[in-house]
Amino acid sequence: MRLALISDIHSNIQALEQVMAALRRERVDQVLNLGDVVGYNANPNECLELILEWKVLSLAGNHDLALLDPDRARRFNLIAYQAIVWSREQVRPEFQEYLQTLPLVLEGPGYLACHGTPTSTDHYISYHFQGKAVFNTLRALRQQVCFFGHTHRRALWYRDVRGKVATLPVSPEKIRLEPSWHYLINPGSVGQPRDGNPDAAYAIFDDEEFSIHFKSVPYDIAAAQRCILKAGLPDFLAERLVQGI
Amino acid sequence: MFPYQKEGTLKDGSRVILRPLVKEDRDKLLDFFRRVDDRDLMFLRNDVRDPATIDDWVNHIDYSKVFPLVAEADGKIVGDATLHMRKVGWKRHLGNVRIVIAKDYQNKGLGTLMINELIDLAAEFGLEKLVAEVHLLATPALNLFKKAGFAAKAVFEDLVKDQSGQRGDLVVMVCEVLARERRGL
Repeated sequence: MRLALISDIHSNIQALEQVMAALRRERVDQVLNLGDVVGYNANPNECLELILEWKVLSLAGNHDLALLDPDRARRFNLIAYQAIVWSREQVRPEFQEYLQTLPLVLEGPGYLACHGTPTSTDHYISYHFQGKAVFNTLRALRQQVCFFGHTHRRALWYRDVRGKVATLPVSPEKIRLEPSWHYLINPGSVGQPRDGNPDAAYAIFDDEEFSIHFKSVPYDIAAAQRCILKAGLPDFLAERLVQGI
Repeated sequence: MFPYQKEGTLKDGSRVILRPLVKEDRDKLLDFFRRVDDRDLMFLRNDVRDPATIDDWVNHIDYSKVFPLVAEADGKIVGDATLHMRKVGWKRHLGNVRIVIAKDYQNKGLGTLMINELIDLAAEFGLEKLVAEVHLLATPALNLFKKAGFAAKAVFEDLVKDQSGQRGDLVVMVCEVLARERRGL
Protein backbone atom coordinates (compact mmCIF):
# COMPACT_ATOMS: atom_id res chain seq x y z
CA MET A 1 0.00 0.00 0.00
CA ARG A 2 1.23 3.48 -0.86
CA LEU A 3 0.28 5.89 1.90
CA ALA A 4 0.57 9.68 1.51
CA LEU A 5 1.43 11.33 4.83
CA ILE A 6 0.42 14.94 5.41
CA SER A 7 0.36 16.93 8.65
CA ASP A 8 -0.03 20.39 10.17
CA ILE A 9 -1.98 21.96 7.31
CA HIS A 10 -2.96 24.83 9.61
CA SER A 11 -5.55 26.46 7.34
CA ASN A 12 -3.08 27.07 4.52
CA ILE A 13 -5.22 26.33 1.46
CA GLN A 14 -2.57 27.50 -1.03
CA ALA A 15 -0.13 24.92 0.32
CA LEU A 16 -2.73 22.15 0.65
CA GLU A 17 -3.93 22.58 -2.94
CA GLN A 18 -0.39 22.17 -4.26
CA VAL A 19 0.21 19.07 -2.13
CA MET A 20 -3.07 17.52 -3.31
CA ALA A 21 -2.18 18.32 -6.93
CA ALA A 22 1.14 16.52 -6.41
CA LEU A 23 -0.62 13.56 -4.78
CA ARG A 24 -2.83 13.12 -7.87
CA ARG A 25 0.34 12.13 -9.70
CA GLU A 26 1.63 9.86 -6.91
CA ARG A 27 -0.83 6.94 -7.31
CA VAL A 28 -1.42 6.65 -3.56
CA ASP A 29 -3.97 4.30 -2.02
CA GLN A 30 -4.76 6.49 0.95
CA VAL A 31 -3.97 9.97 2.29
CA LEU A 32 -3.35 10.10 6.04
CA ASN A 33 -3.52 13.47 7.79
CA LEU A 34 -1.70 13.52 11.14
CA GLY A 35 -3.66 16.43 12.59
CA ASP A 36 -3.91 20.22 12.92
CA VAL A 37 -5.99 21.16 9.90
CA VAL A 38 -6.85 24.48 11.57
CA GLY A 39 -4.99 27.28 13.36
CA TYR A 40 -2.35 29.88 12.41
CA ASN A 41 -3.32 30.59 8.78
CA ALA A 42 -6.43 32.11 7.26
CA ASN A 43 -8.41 29.47 5.31
CA PRO A 44 -9.70 26.78 7.69
CA ASN A 45 -13.03 26.15 5.91
CA GLU A 46 -11.41 25.71 2.50
CA CYS A 47 -8.90 23.23 3.94
CA LEU A 48 -11.58 21.21 5.72
CA GLU A 49 -13.63 21.14 2.53
CA LEU A 50 -10.69 19.72 0.58
CA ILE A 51 -9.88 17.15 3.28
CA LEU A 52 -13.47 15.88 3.18
CA GLU A 53 -13.64 15.94 -0.60
CA TRP A 54 -10.53 13.75 -0.78
CA LYS A 55 -11.84 11.40 1.95
CA VAL A 56 -8.56 11.90 3.80
CA LEU A 57 -8.09 9.71 6.86
CA SER A 58 -7.57 12.30 9.59
CA LEU A 59 -6.43 12.52 13.19
CA ALA A 60 -7.06 15.32 15.67
CA GLY A 61 -4.18 17.66 16.46
CA ASN A 62 -3.82 19.99 19.43
CA HIS A 63 -5.11 22.97 17.41
CA ASP A 64 -8.15 21.01 16.19
CA LEU A 65 -8.94 20.17 19.83
CA ALA A 66 -8.29 23.74 21.00
CA LEU A 67 -10.75 25.05 18.42
CA LEU A 68 -13.41 22.93 20.11
CA ASP A 69 -12.35 23.64 23.69
CA PRO A 70 -11.64 27.23 24.85
CA ASP A 71 -9.88 25.93 28.00
CA ARG A 72 -7.30 24.13 25.89
CA ALA A 73 -6.91 27.22 23.71
CA ARG A 74 -6.13 29.39 26.74
CA ARG A 75 -3.03 27.27 27.37
CA PHE A 76 -1.68 28.25 23.95
CA ASN A 77 0.88 31.01 23.58
CA LEU A 78 -0.42 34.47 22.66
CA ILE A 79 0.08 34.09 18.91
CA ALA A 80 -1.35 30.58 18.59
CA TYR A 81 -4.19 31.62 20.90
CA GLN A 82 -5.10 34.62 18.77
CA ALA A 83 -5.16 32.44 15.65
CA ILE A 84 -7.31 29.73 17.20
CA VAL A 85 -9.81 32.23 18.61
CA TRP A 86 -10.10 33.71 15.11
CA SER A 87 -10.46 30.22 13.57
CA ARG A 88 -13.24 29.30 15.99
CA GLU A 89 -15.24 32.28 14.74
CA GLN A 90 -14.68 31.22 11.13
CA VAL A 91 -15.10 27.45 11.02
CA ARG A 92 -18.56 26.40 9.90
CA PRO A 93 -20.69 24.35 12.36
CA GLU A 94 -20.65 21.22 10.17
CA PHE A 95 -16.85 21.30 10.12
CA GLN A 96 -16.73 21.76 13.91
CA GLU A 97 -18.87 18.63 14.16
CA TYR A 98 -16.46 16.83 11.87
CA LEU A 99 -13.48 17.87 14.01
CA GLN A 100 -15.23 16.37 17.05
CA THR A 101 -15.24 12.95 15.37
CA LEU A 102 -11.50 12.79 14.73
CA PRO A 103 -9.55 10.12 16.65
CA LEU A 104 -6.40 10.93 18.65
CA VAL A 105 -4.55 7.80 17.56
CA LEU A 106 -5.02 5.45 14.66
CA GLU A 107 -3.72 1.92 14.17
CA GLY A 108 -3.34 0.62 10.63
CA PRO A 109 -1.67 -2.41 9.10
CA GLY A 110 1.86 -2.25 10.54
CA TYR A 111 1.67 1.32 11.70
CA LEU A 112 0.49 3.60 14.45
CA ALA A 113 -0.36 7.24 13.71
CA CYS A 114 -0.64 10.17 16.09
CA HIS A 115 -0.22 13.95 16.14
CA GLY A 116 2.34 14.62 18.91
CA THR A 117 3.01 11.25 20.53
CA PRO A 118 0.78 8.18 20.92
CA THR A 119 -0.15 9.38 24.41
CA SER A 120 -0.55 13.14 23.86
CA THR A 121 -1.39 15.56 21.05
CA ASP A 122 0.65 18.22 22.87
CA HIS A 123 3.95 16.45 23.48
CA TYR A 124 6.87 16.49 21.06
CA ILE A 125 9.29 13.99 19.60
CA SER A 126 12.32 16.26 19.28
CA TYR A 127 14.89 14.97 21.74
CA HIS A 128 16.44 11.53 22.20
CA PHE A 129 14.59 10.77 25.46
CA GLN A 130 11.29 11.61 23.77
CA GLY A 131 12.00 9.36 20.78
CA LYS A 132 13.06 6.53 23.05
CA ALA A 133 9.82 6.73 25.05
CA VAL A 134 7.71 6.52 21.89
CA PHE A 135 9.67 3.50 20.64
CA ASN A 136 8.84 1.77 23.93
CA THR A 137 5.13 2.49 23.38
CA LEU A 138 5.37 1.31 19.78
CA ARG A 139 6.98 -1.99 20.75
CA ALA A 140 4.45 -2.57 23.52
CA LEU A 141 1.71 -2.20 20.90
CA ARG A 142 3.59 -4.59 18.57
CA GLN A 143 3.75 -1.99 15.80
CA GLN A 144 6.82 -1.28 13.69
CA VAL A 145 6.26 2.26 12.44
CA CYS A 146 4.79 5.36 14.04
CA PHE A 147 3.79 8.38 11.94
CA PHE A 148 3.67 11.66 13.81
CA GLY A 149 3.56 15.43 13.21
CA HIS A 150 3.31 18.47 15.53
CA THR A 151 6.95 19.65 15.31
CA HIS A 152 6.52 20.90 11.70
CA ARG A 153 9.94 19.39 10.98
CA ARG A 154 10.58 16.32 8.85
CA ALA A 155 12.21 13.55 10.84
CA LEU A 156 13.18 9.92 10.57
CA TRP A 157 13.98 8.12 13.82
CA TYR A 158 15.06 4.50 14.03
CA ARG A 159 15.53 1.85 16.68
CA ASP A 160 17.82 -0.92 15.45
CA VAL A 161 17.75 -4.57 16.58
CA ARG A 162 20.28 -3.82 19.32
CA GLY A 163 18.08 -1.08 20.75
CA LYS A 164 20.07 1.92 19.52
CA VAL A 165 17.82 4.97 19.00
CA ALA A 166 18.92 7.77 16.66
CA THR A 167 17.79 9.88 13.71
CA LEU A 168 18.69 9.53 10.06
CA PRO A 169 19.20 12.48 7.71
CA VAL A 170 16.06 13.38 5.75
CA SER A 171 17.20 13.15 2.14
CA PRO A 172 15.17 14.04 -0.96
CA GLU A 173 15.75 10.53 -2.36
CA LYS A 174 13.57 7.57 -1.47
CA ILE A 175 14.89 5.88 1.70
CA ARG A 176 14.70 2.08 1.98
CA LEU A 177 13.93 1.09 5.56
CA GLU A 178 15.51 -1.89 7.36
CA PRO A 179 12.90 -4.68 7.63
CA SER A 180 13.75 -5.52 11.26
CA TRP A 181 14.06 -1.98 12.65
CA HIS A 182 11.39 0.26 14.21
CA TYR A 183 10.77 3.78 12.86
CA LEU A 184 9.19 7.10 13.82
CA ILE A 185 8.40 9.19 10.75
CA ASN A 186 7.38 12.85 10.59
CA PRO A 187 6.44 14.09 7.08
CA GLY A 188 6.87 17.77 8.08
CA SER A 189 4.20 20.42 7.74
CA VAL A 190 2.02 21.27 4.75
CA GLY A 191 0.98 24.71 5.89
CA GLN A 192 3.73 26.01 8.15
CA PRO A 193 7.07 24.19 7.67
CA ARG A 194 9.67 25.00 10.31
CA ASP A 195 12.75 23.22 9.05
CA GLY A 196 14.07 26.09 6.94
CA ASN A 197 12.45 24.87 3.71
CA PRO A 198 9.31 26.94 3.13
CA ASP A 199 7.83 24.51 0.57
CA ALA A 200 4.79 22.46 1.58
CA ALA A 201 6.06 19.13 2.92
CA TYR A 202 4.59 15.63 2.67
CA ALA A 203 5.86 12.06 2.41
CA ILE A 204 5.03 8.79 0.69
CA PHE A 205 5.26 5.57 2.70
CA ASP A 206 5.26 2.28 0.80
CA ASP A 207 4.71 -0.73 3.06
CA GLU A 208 5.48 -3.31 0.34
CA GLU A 209 8.97 -2.06 -0.51
CA PHE A 210 9.22 -0.66 3.06
CA SER A 211 10.38 2.80 2.07
CA ILE A 212 9.76 6.44 2.90
CA HIS A 213 10.10 9.28 0.41
CA PHE A 214 10.13 12.83 1.83
CA LYS A 215 8.88 15.39 -0.67
CA SER A 216 7.88 19.05 -0.84
CA VAL A 217 6.23 21.37 -3.34
CA PRO A 218 6.45 25.14 -3.74
CA TYR A 219 3.24 27.11 -3.41
CA ASP A 220 2.04 30.70 -3.59
CA ILE A 221 3.35 31.93 -0.23
CA ALA A 222 2.57 35.55 -1.07
CA ALA A 223 -1.12 34.67 -1.51
CA ALA A 224 -1.19 32.85 1.84
CA GLN A 225 0.49 35.86 3.48
CA ARG A 226 -2.07 38.25 2.01
CA CYS A 227 -4.90 36.13 3.44
CA ILE A 228 -3.27 36.18 6.91
CA LEU A 229 -2.81 39.94 6.93
CA LYS A 230 -6.29 40.56 5.54
CA ALA A 231 -7.76 38.42 8.33
CA GLY A 232 -5.96 40.58 10.92
CA LEU A 233 -3.90 37.68 12.27
CA PRO A 234 -0.45 38.47 13.78
CA ASP A 235 2.06 39.67 11.15
CA PHE A 236 4.59 37.12 12.34
CA LEU A 237 2.38 34.31 11.02
CA ALA A 238 2.77 35.73 7.52
CA GLU A 239 6.49 36.51 7.86
CA ARG A 240 7.41 33.02 9.05
CA LEU A 241 5.99 31.28 5.96
CA VAL A 242 8.63 32.66 3.65
CA GLN A 243 11.43 31.75 6.07
CA GLY A 244 10.15 28.26 6.81
CA ILE A 245 10.31 28.79 10.58
CA MET B 1 -5.25 49.19 19.98
CA PHE B 2 -3.84 45.86 21.23
CA PRO B 3 -2.89 43.34 18.59
CA TYR B 4 -3.84 40.41 20.81
CA GLN B 5 -4.15 39.49 24.45
CA LYS B 6 -4.78 36.64 26.85
CA GLU B 7 -5.97 36.41 30.44
CA GLY B 8 -3.87 34.74 33.14
CA THR B 9 -4.71 33.78 36.72
CA LEU B 10 -2.30 34.34 39.62
CA LYS B 11 -1.84 32.26 42.78
CA ASP B 12 -4.23 34.49 44.76
CA GLY B 13 -6.94 34.12 42.12
CA SER B 14 -6.52 37.62 40.70
CA ARG B 15 -6.48 38.06 36.92
CA VAL B 16 -3.97 39.80 34.68
CA ILE B 17 -3.96 40.49 30.96
CA LEU B 18 -0.89 39.36 29.03
CA ARG B 19 -0.24 41.15 25.75
CA PRO B 20 2.54 42.63 23.65
CA LEU B 21 3.63 46.19 24.43
CA VAL B 22 2.17 48.75 22.02
CA LYS B 23 3.01 52.38 21.29
CA GLU B 24 0.08 53.62 23.36
CA ASP B 25 1.63 52.06 26.51
CA ARG B 26 4.22 54.84 26.84
CA ASP B 27 2.79 56.48 29.97
CA LYS B 28 1.82 53.18 31.60
CA LEU B 29 5.31 51.75 31.09
CA LEU B 30 7.01 54.86 32.45
CA ASP B 31 4.72 54.77 35.49
CA PHE B 32 5.53 51.06 35.96
CA PHE B 33 9.29 51.57 35.99
CA ARG B 34 8.94 54.50 38.38
CA ARG B 35 7.09 52.22 40.84
CA VAL B 36 9.66 49.40 40.67
CA ASP B 37 12.50 49.01 43.24
CA ASP B 38 15.93 50.28 42.17
CA ARG B 39 17.42 46.82 42.80
CA ASP B 40 15.01 45.27 40.30
CA LEU B 41 16.28 47.54 37.55
CA MET B 42 20.04 47.27 38.00
CA PHE B 43 20.44 44.58 35.30
CA LEU B 44 18.75 46.66 32.58
CA ARG B 45 20.95 48.32 29.98
CA ASN B 46 18.97 51.56 29.79
CA ASP B 47 17.69 54.16 32.22
CA VAL B 48 14.06 53.12 32.02
CA ARG B 49 12.93 56.00 34.21
CA ASP B 50 14.03 58.45 31.57
CA PRO B 51 11.02 59.31 29.33
CA ALA B 52 13.38 59.49 26.34
CA THR B 53 14.26 55.80 26.78
CA ILE B 54 10.60 54.77 26.86
CA ASP B 55 9.80 57.03 23.89
CA ASP B 56 12.57 55.34 21.95
CA TRP B 57 11.26 51.88 22.88
CA VAL B 58 7.59 52.43 22.05
CA ASN B 59 8.38 54.29 18.82
CA HIS B 60 10.63 51.52 17.52
CA ILE B 61 8.75 48.35 18.39
CA ASP B 62 9.86 45.46 16.17
CA TYR B 63 8.41 42.20 17.50
CA SER B 64 10.84 40.19 15.36
CA LYS B 65 13.82 41.66 17.24
CA VAL B 66 12.44 42.22 20.73
CA PHE B 67 9.11 40.81 21.85
CA PRO B 68 8.00 42.93 24.84
CA LEU B 69 5.33 41.14 26.87
CA VAL B 70 3.46 43.15 29.47
CA ALA B 71 1.08 42.11 32.22
CA GLU B 72 -1.71 44.53 33.00
CA ALA B 73 -4.06 44.67 35.99
CA ASP B 74 -6.59 47.38 36.79
CA GLY B 75 -5.31 49.46 33.91
CA LYS B 76 -1.69 49.44 35.15
CA ILE B 77 1.31 47.56 33.87
CA VAL B 78 2.45 45.20 36.64
CA GLY B 79 5.06 43.16 34.77
CA ASP B 80 7.38 43.56 31.81
CA ALA B 81 9.22 40.62 30.23
CA THR B 82 11.22 40.86 27.05
CA LEU B 83 12.49 38.27 24.60
CA HIS B 84 15.51 39.49 22.60
CA MET B 85 16.29 37.76 19.30
CA ARG B 86 18.85 37.93 16.49
CA LYS B 87 18.00 37.09 12.90
CA VAL B 88 21.53 36.20 11.78
CA GLY B 89 24.80 34.96 13.20
CA TRP B 90 25.84 32.09 15.42
CA LYS B 91 23.37 33.08 18.12
CA ARG B 92 20.32 33.23 15.83
CA HIS B 93 18.80 30.19 17.56
CA LEU B 94 19.12 31.83 21.00
CA GLY B 95 16.88 34.26 22.80
CA ASN B 96 17.67 36.38 25.85
CA VAL B 97 15.05 36.91 28.49
CA ARG B 98 14.66 39.79 30.94
CA ILE B 99 11.84 40.34 33.40
CA VAL B 100 10.74 43.02 35.86
CA ILE B 101 7.75 42.54 38.17
CA ALA B 102 6.06 45.29 40.23
CA LYS B 103 6.74 44.92 43.95
CA ASP B 104 3.08 44.35 44.85
CA TYR B 105 2.85 41.55 42.26
CA GLN B 106 5.94 39.61 43.35
CA ASN B 107 5.45 36.13 44.87
CA LYS B 108 2.07 35.79 43.20
CA GLY B 109 3.16 33.61 40.30
CA LEU B 110 3.21 36.46 37.77
CA GLY B 111 6.89 35.96 36.97
CA THR B 112 6.30 32.25 36.30
CA LEU B 113 3.27 33.05 34.14
CA MET B 114 5.23 35.55 32.04
CA ILE B 115 8.37 33.41 31.67
CA ASN B 116 6.27 30.41 30.64
CA GLU B 117 4.55 32.57 28.04
CA LEU B 118 7.90 33.77 26.71
CA ILE B 119 9.22 30.19 26.48
CA ASP B 120 6.13 29.18 24.49
CA LEU B 121 6.58 32.20 22.23
CA ALA B 122 10.27 31.36 21.80
CA ALA B 123 9.27 27.92 20.50
CA GLU B 124 6.81 29.64 18.17
CA PHE B 125 9.60 31.91 16.88
CA GLY B 126 11.81 28.88 16.18
CA LEU B 127 14.31 29.55 18.97
CA GLU B 128 16.07 26.56 20.50
CA LYS B 129 17.53 27.93 23.72
CA LEU B 130 16.79 30.84 26.02
CA VAL B 131 19.42 32.55 28.12
CA ALA B 132 18.86 34.51 31.32
CA GLU B 133 21.49 36.37 33.33
CA VAL B 134 20.78 36.59 37.05
CA HIS B 135 22.70 37.98 40.05
CA LEU B 136 23.84 35.11 42.27
CA LEU B 137 22.16 36.70 45.29
CA ALA B 138 18.84 37.28 43.51
CA THR B 139 17.35 34.10 44.95
CA PRO B 140 13.72 34.75 43.90
CA ALA B 141 14.82 35.29 40.27
CA LEU B 142 17.04 32.20 40.33
CA ASN B 143 14.12 30.14 41.65
CA LEU B 144 11.73 31.63 39.09
CA PHE B 145 13.93 30.67 36.14
CA LYS B 146 14.73 27.25 37.62
CA LYS B 147 11.02 26.52 38.06
CA ALA B 148 10.40 27.50 34.43
CA GLY B 149 12.96 24.98 33.18
CA PHE B 150 16.19 27.02 33.14
CA ALA B 151 19.39 25.48 34.51
CA ALA B 152 22.48 27.35 35.74
CA LYS B 153 25.29 26.77 33.26
CA ALA B 154 28.00 29.17 34.44
CA VAL B 155 28.84 31.55 37.25
CA PHE B 156 31.08 34.53 36.55
CA GLU B 157 32.63 35.76 39.79
CA ASP B 158 32.77 39.49 40.48
CA LEU B 159 31.52 40.27 36.99
CA VAL B 160 28.74 42.80 37.63
CA LYS B 161 28.45 45.94 39.71
CA ASP B 162 25.36 47.41 41.39
CA GLN B 163 24.59 51.14 41.64
CA SER B 164 26.86 51.57 44.68
CA GLY B 165 29.79 49.89 42.92
CA GLN B 166 29.47 46.64 44.88
CA ARG B 167 30.67 43.75 42.73
CA GLY B 168 28.61 40.60 42.38
CA ASP B 169 28.57 37.16 40.74
CA LEU B 170 26.53 36.61 37.60
CA VAL B 171 24.74 33.32 36.91
CA VAL B 172 24.03 32.41 33.29
CA MET B 173 20.96 30.17 33.01
CA VAL B 174 19.80 28.32 29.90
CA CYS B 175 16.47 26.74 28.96
CA GLU B 176 16.11 24.11 26.21
CA VAL B 177 12.93 25.38 24.60
CA LEU B 178 11.63 22.19 22.98
CA ALA B 179 12.64 19.89 25.82
CA ARG B 180 9.76 21.29 27.85
CA GLU B 181 6.42 19.70 27.27
CA ARG B 182 4.49 22.83 26.46
CA ARG B 183 1.23 23.37 24.70
CA GLY B 184 0.24 25.58 21.82
CA LEU B 185 2.51 24.87 18.90
